[in-house]
Amino acid sequence: MGQANLKEIKCISYKKAGINKGYTDQSLSIDINSADISINPIDENIKHKFIGGKGYDLWLMWNRVSGTTKWNDPENTICISSGPLGGTPGYPGGGKSIVTAISPLTGAPIDSNVGGYFGPYKKFSGFDAIELTGKAQNDTVILIDGIENTIKLFNASNLPEDAYALSKELTQHFDADKPVNISVVTAGPGAANTNFGCLNFSWWDAGRKMVRYKQAGRGGIGTVFADKKIKAVVARYGSISMKTNNPADLEALKAVTKTHAKEIHELDPKQNRMALVGTTHLVPIMNDHDCLPVHNFKFGSHPESQVIGEDVYEHIFDKGFDGCWRGCAVACAHGVKDFIPFTGPYQGTKVFVDGPEYETVAGCGSNLGIFDPHTILEMNFYCDAYGMDTISVGTSIGFVMECFENDQITIKNTGGMDLSFGNRHSALEIIHQMAAGKGFGAIVGKGVRQMKTIFAKDFGADAAFMQDIGMESKGLEFSEYITKESLAQQGGYGLALKGPQHDEAWLIFLDMVHNFMPTFENKAEALHWFPMFRTWFGLCGLCKLPWNDIVPEDNKNNPEPAKVVKHVGWYADFFSAVTGRKTTPDDLITMSEAVYNFQRIFNLKMGYGTREHDTVPYRAMGPVTVEEYNSRNKRYDEQLTDKYNLDITGMSTGEKVAALRQKREEQYELLKDAVYERRGWNKNGIPTLDTVKRLGIDFPEVLDILKQNGIQ
Amino acid sequence: MIEVDRKSLPWKKGMTVADLLKTLENVEFCSVVRLNGKLVSSPKFDKTLIPDNAAIDLLPLVAGG
Repeated sequence: MGQANLKEIKCISYKKAGINKGYTDQSLSIDINSADISINPIDENIKHKFIGGKGYDLWLMWNRVSGTTKWNDPENTICISSGPLGGTPGYPGGGKSIVTAISPLTGAPIDSNVGGYFGPYKKFSGFDAIELTGKAQNDTVILIDGIENTIKLFNASNLPEDAYALSKELTQHFDADKPVNISVVTAGPGAANTNFGCLNFSWWDAGRKMVRYKQAGRGGIGTVFADKKIKAVVARYGSISMKTNNPADLEALKAVTKTHAKEIHELDPKQNRMALVGTTHLVPIMNDHDCLPVHNFKFGSHPESQVIGEDVYEHIFDKGFDGCWRGCAVACAHGVKDFIPFTGPYQGTKVFVDGPEYETVAGCGSNLGIFDPHTILEMNFYCDAYGMDTISVGTSIGFVMECFENDQITIKNTGGMDLSFGNRHSALEIIHQMAAGKGFGAIVGKGVRQMKTIFAKDFGADAAFMQDIGMESKGLEFSEYITKESLAQQGGYGLALKGPQHDEAWLIFLDMVHNFMPTFENKAEALHWFPMFRTWFGLCGLCKLPWNDIVPEDNKNNPEPAKVVKHVGWYADFFSAVTGRKTTPDDLITMSEAVYNFQRIFNLKMGYGTREHDTVPYRAMGPVTVEEYNSRNKRYDEQLTDKYNLDITGMSTGEKVAALRQKREEQYELLKDAVYERRGWNKNGIPTLDTVKRLGIDFPEVLDILKQNGIQ
Repeated sequence: MIEVDRKSLPWKKGMTVADLLKTLENVEFCSVVRLNGKLVSSPKFDKTLIPDNAAIDLLPLVAGG
């Protein structure tokens, strides 16, 4: 510690914009190559249409990249925003940042929602959004100092490589006396050497007197960050109160904040206990409902899963306040202290592990056949420190393990590693190799989509089989839920704009367990409302967990309990109180709809965004193999006979697999038709002119893109 | 007696979680309960016996990650 060599290469002073009703109305643009720094106004029309957060990010990116921009082109732009409601202390989940870039995995815009204090500190320093463009010649650190009102760029040397040490080092460097003033965004060596690099967003844990971090995990934004030679972006800001956002109605803001926080304090201990166990409560629930990915999403449950769920992690997690934002009542960002890795550069050293959350437990645990909470912790620790997304890591390793067990790849291809399911040492070794960009791990780090091509071309693997079992869509690896029995969630993944991440829609239980949406129209309605409402959190700088993971006790009396309408009303009140824009619950959907359709057209601009890209591998729909069919043969036999009226007498299992596949693939295409119609898109999945005009996003450049795709 | 969402209800020997839910209103979206602090999911409702003096919380609709 303390050996960092930061040589200042650029410094500007600026007059800080006052915050007006949650907005600064300006963005900060930094060209890493030329060290040009500019502060730009955000006009009223853009503010009204795009709201903030992901909306601002997408608009800024749209104006920076062309339809031919690749992820590693200098013009690819990383945008980081908060949102008008972001930075409200005490409002549960009120401190999120939203990050976007053109993804190395998908070639299209990716967005990722992350905790930590960076977003609010950046906004209160004077910028609703920042744009990072160009590529540096040397490792670069950027400081946005909202106390001194300066922006500085440094050439950096002698810094730690990994995010765990680097976050600490820079926090100490930039404000040793008041580390709470600092939030650091970092990647790590794995971000540079894989396509699924993540970003770590830090905050100072005052109780434990240490730096903590959360991850903007999805889609490889950390890889773009590393490619630009950015080592870190640091925000520095001082004290924050409810007045800092300069809300339109402070008393109304206090009232809704108090109401929501009080409910969570009262009900979370009786419901999901997230303040104690985070999201690990989902492990046993998913396992019991056959939705926990096991062995590359082949199965949905495993008897050993009981040792990787809340019962175990409740005792392993360090006790104390674990909010990734100030005063957040959900406080689900748990961690483990004094963990000692048994491999890698931190072998034998006590470290603090931030996590794991459900996705990491399922992706790096059950999906790999690893039912050991300590190995999962070690994988979690190194993925973060190396700057790699635990979801893509888990899903990618699951894919290679199944390929290995099916002789699609052999020990000759893996550099001698036995990649059978459950092999903890090999899983950890792959992670170290990925981070170093060496050995077989360098191939795994390219992600599932590229691995399918490499394995077929170089190792003679069966391309059709890998297409069926490779859990990616649009190039992004699936997050960690089994969707075989929920057509709606197949759509939730396959129709998600950025690829199969559950933050757009999570409909498995409504659909599969409760049969709440039996018709295509019901499913299409859900695949309209839920993605739109969930999008809204990303526009405003908020976390979605307080919306529907702790719910009012009378919520079950509502005819549509999944919407948690009382909370939707509170969010409308929250928006009104901060921005002064009188808002109803329906307005929240309309706000999102404009940004959501704009992102779809952005995909179109980049050469995607049509029906052919809204596909999922068959494993997400049904059983690929005879083994898989036999694991649930009673269920599948009944569906063939009762639902599809087929006579299965005398059919082999292989024939039944094929028959079921035909039916399920037909259903998925019908679902697409219904969803496109509900969203105001044509049969090819492109928003119509009427839709973009209704939403007010009929900018000339949007109309040009539509015209190029036959919409006029 | 048992407590369900902090309301006292009579206990019967041999009653299961499934039996209990049949007596309650607006529970069609209940797929998980906490029985004396432990999670019990809907596939296990009809096999899980409720002991006397049990505390049961009906968890909200599972909302995913």
